[in-house]
Amino acid sequence: MFVWIRTLASRTRTWFSSRHVAHDFDHELQTHLDLLTDENVRRGMAPEEAKRAARVRLGGLTQLKETNRELQGLPFIETFLQDTRYAFRMLGKNPGFTAVAILTLAVGIGANTAIFSVVYAVLLKPLPFTNPDRLFTAFQTNKQQGVAETGCSYLNFEEWRAQNHVFSEMAGNVAHQLTLTGRVEPTVVNTSVVTPEFFALLDVKPIAGRIFFPQDGKQGAPPVVLVSEDLWRGRFGADPKIIGTSINLDQRPFTVIGIIPSAFRTPFFTTKQEVWIPLVQDPVFSTRMPQRGSHLLPVIGRLKPGVSVAQAQAEMDAISGRLAAEFPAENNGWTVRLVPLQKEIVGDVRAALLVLLGAVGLVLLIACANIANLLLARATSRSKEIAVRTALGAGSARIIRQLLSETAVLGLLGGAVGIALAYGGVKALSALVPSSLPQMNPIRVDYFVLGFALLLSAIAGVAFGLVPAMFAAKADIQSSLRESVRTGESRNRRRARSFLAAGEISLALVLLVAAGLLLRSFSKLMSVSPGFDVQYIVKADISLPQFQYSKPQQWTAFSDELLARIQSDPGLQDSAIAVPRPIADLRVTLPFDIVGSPPVSASGAAPRTTSYVSISPGYFHVMSIPLLSGRLFDRRDIMSSPSVTIISKTMAQRNFPNQDPLGKQITFGFPPAPGAMHEIVGIVGDVRDDSLSQDPRPMVYVPYAQAPFWGANVVVKSTLSPSSVAATIRQEVQKIDKDLPVTDVAMMPDLIAASVAQPRFRTFLLGLFGAMALMLAATGVFGVISYSVSRRTNEIGIRVALGASRGTILRMVLRETLVLTFAGLAVGLPCALAGSRLLGNMLFGVSASDPATLAIVAITLAAVAALAGYVPARRAMLVDPMVALRHE
Amino acid sequence: MPGDKSEILQGTLDLMVLKTLDGLGPMHGYGIARRIEQISEEALQINQGTIYASLVRLMQKGWISAAWGTSDNNRKAKFYSITKAGRKQLHTEAQNWERISTVIGRVLRIAERG
Repeated sequence: MFVWIRTLASRTRTWFSSRHVAHDFDHELQTHLDLLTDENVRRGMAPEEAKRAARVRLGGLTQLKETNRELQGLPFIETFLQDTRYAFRMLGKNPGFTAVAILTLAVGIGANTAIFSVVYAVLLKPLPFTNPDRLFTAFQTNKQQGVAETGCSYLNFEEWRAQNHVFSEMAGNVAHQLTLTGRVEPTVVNTSVVTPEFFALLDVKPIAGRIFFPQDGKQGAPPVVLVSEDLWRGRFGADPKIIGTSINLDQRPFTVIGIIPSAFRTPFFTTKQEVWIPLVQDPVFSTRMPQRGSHLLPVIGRLKPGVSVAQAQAEMDAISGRLAAEFPAENNGWTVRLVPLQKEIVGDVRAALLVLLGAVGLVLLIACANIANLLLARATSRSKEIAVRTALGAGSARIIRQLLSETAVLGLLGGAVGIALAYGGVKALSALVPSSLPQMNPIRVDYFVLGFALLLSAIAGVAFGLVPAMFAAKADIQSSLRESVRTGESRNRRRARSFLAAGEISLALVLLVAAGLLLRSFSKLMSVSPGFDVQYIVKADISLPQFQYSKPQQWTAFSDELLARIQSDPGLQDSAIAVPRPIADLRVTLPFDIVGSPPVSASGAAPRTTSYVSISPGYFHVMSIPLLSGRLFDRRDIMSSPSVTIISKTMAQRNFPNQDPLGKQITFGFPPAPGAMHEIVGIVGDVRDDSLSQDPRPMVYVPYAQAPFWGANVVVKSTLSPSSVAATIRQEVQKIDKDLPVTDVAMMPDLIAASVAQPRFRTFLLGLFGAMALMLAATGVFGVISYSVSRRTNEIGIRVALGASRGTILRMVLRETLVLTFAGLAVGLPCALAGSRLLGNMLFGVSASDPATLAIVAITLAAVAALAGYVPARRAMLVDPMVALRHE
Repeated sequence: MPGDKSEILQGTLDLMVLKTLDGLGPMHGYGIARRIEQISEEALQINQGTIYASLVRLMQKGWISAAWGTSDNNRKAKFYSITKAGRKQLHTEAQNWERISTVIGRVLRIAERG
């Protein structure tokens, strides 16, 4: 039975042609009347009498028409439209109030929408791949060695891929940089090195050409490369014939087979990748393919339909077990951990983003409280209007509906302006967002975010409208009608207004405490010494093409010559080489043992690990890292002389308590010589090499001459401008080899700043929200107090006339302010303490209940509130009793 | 009891309108009202206007249709006629009505006796 649908359809139809229908009905009723009159006349009535009797018989014409209109149309929508029209008229009558309310709300909704667009893009929106929830990362973990997440060897990856029945496909993916030469100026390109299944697994469609096929991954296959759309447009002028041509990577020709769309983001890597090559073609990683003990490849897999994570985990456990039995030397202790791809990509950003979203939500709540307060004040002036409406027969539901329509219109208008603000806000945010924030989806105001904003404004409209509307509907008509509008405000309503203002103070306190804690954390973080001199240090990275520079002797020869050339320049004597340099994306961590004490791995405990840096002799001098005892490296420490190492203070204290480490031997190193013996010849100060917020880790330094890399990171201490330093380095490098690019020239202070980009981002935003909260709360207090003063002008006048001093009046009003403020603070304090606990590890060097921060914030808030109350208090004090008494 | 205005349930009026149209063919509002009064032997002195609410409801449900026409004494009037769906509905409703009235009648008789 679809009778109700038919009814609704009919009502809608007639609603749209209501004028015509009404006219029709008038005509019909007229006919009816005429017929009735005719009959009455036939029965012998006089014409006038007949007409009157007919009217009586038919019933009240107006009422009939009204009933008919209600039956025919959509009364709900009609009243809604009526209410909306009325709402617009009311808002237009009070432009001041309307502007303030809309602006307040717009700022709240705009900020929420902007933050939500970030949260949505990073946390909520599915990854831009086909069926992203089936994508998982497979890491190797080793509890005994304390390794939580690392890649697996290529040989293990092949076994995983061949033996498992739970993934429809698996692929490995690792990134580094290669030098692009040939058709363009030498440049370094971000290179993703993948197994050929990678693009098929992620279901990526190329703009032109093809993706990798399995045969591209075979040994001896011709070298092929996929280039990104951006590189193609930027470097190759969008050459339509690029497919099939050849480009050089690290001096080796690769054939371009396809173009990958710009929107594609390689999972894990926050930098944009520019070229993709098969693993087997990579100059660096292909050499490690036969090593089963390497931990080269982070692996992603696509779960087969219907397979659960638990099943997949069980299968991978079984495979790891088999591998450990078959290759115990490389695989003992290693298991597999599956993590949903999205979770892996988002990482620890989640907590910070949720805190920001919560904070900005509080700002909106305060904004709503503010508007509710304004509405309550206005409702008092409107009580007469409401009373008249009630007297004329409007039920309380009808009154609430009308008032809510007004606030809903207000909410939606505020939302509309807020969305406009959000567009600007998102642009500003995108510029502010640290590049380390994983952005698989672009941050923008899309339909989902728009929907969120609309929902928010609708909810806000009801939230701040409901309380005032209920008060208005409950009002006692009689007293409202009798009462003079200027004097009384019902006690309940006044209490509600004070309650709201105090609530605003509480919420503002929560936000400001959080902001204060983050600010203190950040300033502590910035005052932490990294352990080396940051000023005037410039760094530049040079990577050597693998094919020309394949032997370690060539690496040392290159770096020796480069360093000699750079140091011959008058401004650049203080230069050195370090791999990896401090505050780098890359950190080398190695397990080690102390000769003469039992190896830790035998006891089953977590192995000792240390950070590892290879340096040229002048490094400590350039970086101003102090030598605590022993000696520095010098020219005697070369490949043929005994291996030596310099250790950091933390390394010495942790591993050689109450002994002199000098002269002791420790073993560490890369495969194929993981147990190489090194004699400790010196101890230097600690360095925070990872990030400022991490305590210094144990470190070992080795001479570059004994442990060369295939590249060189030059650090220079110079008072010259970074650009001239870069120019000199570039010049010297090109004199040695004209095809070598110099990349990533940067100043150390900038690198430090970049390393704290995320804490700075959240501190800035939370600070901004705190400031907004403070301002809104101050406005709230100001509104309540000044309204109360204007209501009480009469009373104040009488008091003054009766002899109250101006001081008494001032104190009276200020007391009202302070009672409000302290009530707010008292309620806010425990909330703030609970809230700041959510900040967790975002705090650095400050406890979540830091009394100094709490005190400063509370005092600031009280002072601002007092100031907000002082302005109206002063006005009250200056009231002229004559004017006040005539005020009525 | 003539003169005593019986409260007519909405549904009952709708049923009577349907029945009237079913029995007598297309009629205008006045005709229907008159007819119901006559049949009930003036027991149902309705406000004749009430009939129009009923007509709108029945139209919306698709049980009757309407067309402008000319009345006996040459007046332009809207003529209502029952539709196929309306007949079906009338059939069901009439059965329901009879069953209920039988039951109620029986209950009332028992009550009188007791």
